[in-house]
Amino acid sequence: MLDLINPSKIFHWIEKFINFINSIFFILLAVALTFALILSPPDYLQGESVRIMYVHVPAAWISLASFTSIALLSIAKFIFKIKNLNLITKSIAPIGLMFACLAVITGSLWGQPTWGTWWAWDARITSMVVLIIFYIFFILAHKFVTPEEKANKISSIIAIFGLINIPIVKYSVDWWNTLHQPASIKLNGTSTIHSSMLMPLMLMLLVLLLYCALIFLMKYKTEIIRIKKKNIKRI
Amino acid sequence: MIENLITMNGYGLFVWSSFAITILTCALLYLKTYRTLKKYEKDFAKELSELSASQRRIVLEKSKVATQVLASYNKSI
Repeated sequence: MLDLINPSKIFHWIEKFINFINSIFFILLAVALTFALILSPPDYLQGESVRIMYVHVPAAWISLASFTSIALLSIAKFIFKIKNLNLITKSIAPIGLMFACLAVITGSLWGQPTWGTWWAWDARITSMVVLIIFYIFFILAHKFVTPEEKANKISSIIAIFGLINIPIVKYSVDWWNTLHQPASIKLNGTSTIHSSMLMPLMLMLLVLLLYCALIFLMKYKTEIIRIKKKNIKRI
Repeated sequence: MIENLITMNGYGLFVWSSFAITILTCALLYLKTYRTLKKYEKDFAKELSELSASQRRIVLEKSKVATQVLASYNKSI
């Protein structure tokens, strides 16, 4: 099992995965954009502005999932003392930060025509800003703290603390009276979204997940090379 | 139809801005990541080339990653 995260063992697979994603990415992107911008119907209440959801919702999901994985891997790092997990968490963080920012920006672009304001200190939006702050601290710890072991430790602590914020983001719309609408898609329970809108949403999610995989693999490869470069003289 | 697609009943500016910002940001992160990866591959290959022939042979024998980085770098130039 641990072989799966051993850089030497998986390094040649990374290149293959990158090539595979590159080969199908633009076709899927074109299909997803056609569904999201042309083929899907406007919403009976929100009208055409509902199309913003096709980038806003996947971006928010990805940012939450990325931070959750970073935090869980940080816990695993403390328990099992696997150093390679540092390379993985470090490679996920910029992707998560970018999607958290995109979720807030596209949410704001949806808020103006729908709520009549670009910004509100609403529980969901504020907790998303807190998530962005955790991401920034995590990345800054890796950038500015030396030696590397100390940076890894500090960033892991930040991620574990940040994990508290994830259920707050998720359930803020249920716990407080917020401007933000409650979830339309539920894993356990009935989703209130029509299949004609679910389809473009899932397609956009797939495309953005493939993009995340691509960036993650490139960043992970860069990290492996950086470590090997450091050790080259020792060999 | 094209006019409808552009204006989106008055929501065009918001919808198109959302998609444009997302695509542009994704493209920028991709470019930055790609350039950094290529820079590291180049630096790694350069460091390997600065080693003596015997040292380089030992490194390439002991490290699968070094062999693959070198192969990938040579393919890209």
